[in-house]
Amino acid sequence: MNSVNTWTTTQHFWLIILGFFVAFAPRYLPIKIFTKRKIPEWFNEWMRFVPVSLFTALVVKDVFISSSYQFEVMPHIAEIVAGILVLVIAYVTRSMAISVVAGLVSVFLLSMII
Amino acid sequence: MTKQLPNPDEPRWRMTLRTSMPLNLSYIPIGLACGVLLHAAGFNTLLTGLVSILVFSGGAQFMIASMLTINAPLLSIVLMLFFLELRYALLGSSLSRYLKGQSERFLLFFAVSLNDENYAVNYLKFATDKKWTPQDAIQVEHYSLLFWAVSNVIGSLIGSALKIDLNVVQFALTALFIYMVVMQIKERLTIVIAILAGVLAVVFLTLTKSTIGLVISTLLTSFIGFLIEHYLLEKHPKSHWLYKLRHHELTTEDEDDETVDESGQNS
Repeated sequence: MNSVNTWTTTQHFWLIILGFFVAFAPRYLPIKIFTKRKIPEWFNEWMRFVPVSLFTALVVKDVFISSSYQFEVMPHIAEIVAGILVLVIAYVTRSMAISVVAGLVSVFLLSMII
Repeated sequence: MTKQLPNPDEPRWRMTLRTSMPLNLSYIPIGLACGVLLHAAGFNTLLTGLVSILVFSGGAQFMIASMLTINAPLLSIVLMLFFLELRYALLGSSLSRYLKGQSERFLLFFAVSLNDENYAVNYLKFATDKKWTPQDAIQVEHYSLLFWAVSNVIGSLIGSALKIDLNVVQFALTALFIYMVVMQIKERLTIVIAILAGVLAVVFLTLTKSTIGLVISTLLTSFIGFLIEHYLLEKHPKSHWLYKLRHHELTTEDEDDETVDESGQNS
């Protein structure tokens, strides 16, 4: 018996199909609805703040939140320092490629030191 | 619709490939890692390819792998996926004003291959490049999908032979998101909103113990941002919080002009 996982390929397949539908519905329905109707201006202005709010939330989740959803600082100190570095580099260079590479290199080096 | 290319020699497909390349390259190590993990969780290579195309979400696939290794029941994995993917509703809503007038078929294909990272690239292009079209955007999506799926399949094939430090690899996406936040900072108010977003994300993630916290904090923060901006524009249009960090001074008329330009020719 496989100790890691006991599922069959058929079960994996159904997981993917169900996963597709729960991923597809939230992707498709808002696009379908909001491209057909006249969008009220206040909704557009509200949505304008979505990117900055969502991406900050994703960064905070990656850097400060543990897999059991605890707020942690010390175990993630390498990521935090690397994150600040990326912030500065992104602001100065305005280049996505440089920011990502610098982030990878610095978190790799920092996690060896710390 | 006529397009003027900055470099007429460069075909459109190559321009969109160039735009999507930083994203594509950062997908390689993460996709490899994801493929290795799925392999370890018992997924065969064919299904790894299928899940990369149909679900196409790093977060979701990492979660599938980790929940399979703890033998979670099917229904609870699907439910977790649903909460994880709910945030795509926000991405779709905020992009929809750029996608008006597209065919039903186009919207379907656009939605299928939408995810956090290619949204990030496309939103930025739509907001800053007036010549960026929905067709360019879907090409970016397809390039990223291709790189993601191929990296996953290769990861699955090399399986356990590859040893990857997940924390390091996943930081590529974190760095991408940090870059996106920086690019969103257009006026001083946005900095306040970003800080608020961070605080509320911690509050709601620890409170809900699930990624639904991301959705709640994003909806709340962006709405507060909208209310503050609205209040400032009405009552204190000269407020220093509205100072642009680049580009022209902000007045209500300017802002309206910009909106019309960005959303294309819908009247």
